[in-house]
Amino acid sequence: MRPFTTILKYELFSLFISSSTYIASFYFLTLLGIGFKFFLESFSYTDWILPPLSSLVVGLFFGAPALVPFLTMRSFAEERKLGTLETLLTTPIDSGILVIGKWSACFIFFSIICILSFIYPLILIYLHPEQGFNLGFSSPHYWVGCSLFLLLYGGSFTAIGIFSSIMTKNQMVAGMLSFTLITLYISLMSISSKSNINNGNLDGNYQLLEQSLAPLTNGFEKLEQFSVGFIDVATIFHQIIFIMFFLVLSTIQLNRLNK
Amino acid sequence: MKSDNKPMAIVEVLNLKKNFGNTKALKGISFSIGKGEIVGFLGPNGAGKSTTLRILSGLINADSGEAKVCGIDLAAEEGLVKHHIGYLPENNPLPEDLRVIEYLNFRSRLKGLQGSRLKERTKIVLEICDLERKVSERKIGNLSKGFRQRVGIADALLAEPRLVILDEPTIGLDPHQSAITRKMMERLKGDVTFLISSHLLSEVEACCDRMVILSHGQIVAEGTLHDLQKSFIDKTIFEIVTKGDKIEVQKQIREIDNTCELLLDDLVEITGKRRFSFSTLNGEKSAERIIQHLFSSKELKVSEFQIARPDLETIFLRATKQNWEKKALSKYK
Repeated sequence: MRPFTTILKYELFSLFISSSTYIASFYFLTLLGIGFKFFLESFSYTDWILPPLSSLVVGLFFGAPALVPFLTMRSFAEERKLGTLETLLTTPIDSGILVIGKWSACFIFFSIICILSFIYPLILIYLHPEQGFNLGFSSPHYWVGCSLFLLLYGGSFTAIGIFSSIMTKNQMVAGMLSFTLITLYISLMSISSKSNINNGNLDGNYQLLEQSLAPLTNGFEKLEQFSVGFIDVATIFHQIIFIMFFLVLSTIQLNRLNK
Repeated sequence: MKSDNKPMAIVEVLNLKKNFGNTKALKGISFSIGKGEIVGFLGPNGAGKSTTLRILSGLINADSGEAKVCGIDLAAEEGLVKHHIGYLPENNPLPEDLRVIEYLNFRSRLKGLQGSRLKERTKIVLEICDLERKVSERKIGNLSKGFRQRVGIADALLAEPRLVILDEPTIGLDPHQSAITRKMMERLKGDVTFLISSHLLSEVEACCDRMVILSHGQIVAEGTLHDLQKSFIDKTIFEIVTKGDKIEVQKQIREIDNTCELLLDDLVEITGKRRFSFSTLNGEKSAERIIQHLFSSKELKVSEFQIARPDLETIFLRATKQNWEKKALSKYK
């Protein structure tokens, strides 16, 4: 436990003293705030059926490919480039603990950004309580569902980012790889099985493929469920497995690096 | 009985091999290092020094062979071995943003130190490496090369390791800083075993008890400086300064040893005397007898003498040259 907390503290410290992290976070939160404002102003004219809080989730979700690389690209890539990863590996610390420690730091920072983004609806509740109530910002189950969704997918995205960082010595390449993989993942999630339900003539192979990819697809259906407070336990398990998959891959790659 | 009483070697390497693709970095090396020794690891670029050190520090795995540190098999218990090793890599990479004391605290925790033991060890290594007072509060990025090297050595010493591996510890340091590093090793000698890789032969000669010379992935020489001198330099060279002429000196010398050859005949300015350098195949004892005989001769009036002991550079070049020649010869067979 001790090596894990040591790595976690060190990585959090590195993130907090990094100017690029602050610039990316500030830029991201500003854009999110502006987007949230425009969304609320035009909410009555839209066909948005979900609670307005989910708009923040959507903003964070689709902004993650831009934000997460800034958090994760330095983790291993910079250490490999500087050579400090070698000195780290000469200590009696397990490579798996090292990966989990660095991932945890990035995940915690991402969670902090998510929490900071929730300041916008909280400000609305404080300044205009009635309006906030009408928009559903006072309903705790919406908050729980949205937060859990963000935490789950934030964990997945940061795990992808850590894996990307370990694959190269170049921070920019790590950032681009992370951006690409997260975008691909979101694209995969946008595949929906709803449109095929009504089509009775489905090829058997296609059905099999769809069933096997089910944990990765139907992302927006899952967002709908979580944002109204419906917690899908299967999704939680799928995402935990997804996170573990990329962390295990990262550990394997770390062990292969110098061998 | 004798083998039971033999002290355990800190490092035991047996037939270690390592390939990187088609390149054979290590072709089956074997050596051992006893407790408290300071052993120098020498070799030209690409000889396999860093590869060997990286295997011993647990960074990479050997392809075959056996390596034990403190009696623990590296292949089987790599994590356990790391508790006994301190490692200073070549170029000593350090995080620039941390202060010295912060970095050492971080590394201490990673190595399993905590509480009062952590504070105690940090204080000790700061003192050993002369990093106390203002230096420990400075950011690593603002330190000179010499101080950074000391931080790296302090890190290697933190967890009281039994084996400290230093890869090029004095490279880029000025003579004063190199002397400090040597003094530090001398201070810890006996309690800590050092394995040093270096290109600076004078440094190795000054501080190491034994040397291991590698070339093309093989050990070409191993032993103390005296052992290596005997193995690779088959002639003993001695010098005398005398008023006598060349013919008389040669005649007197050949009365004792007829294998002697004149290597140098030089005029020593101002005094008008001549300096002669001879080689003999019969070793230092013969040279000593010759010098005693020359001293007893009143005509020659020998004013200076010395037996020239070949330095490590000469031995190194001879040992590695022999290896290259063998390699070149084997290509034609």
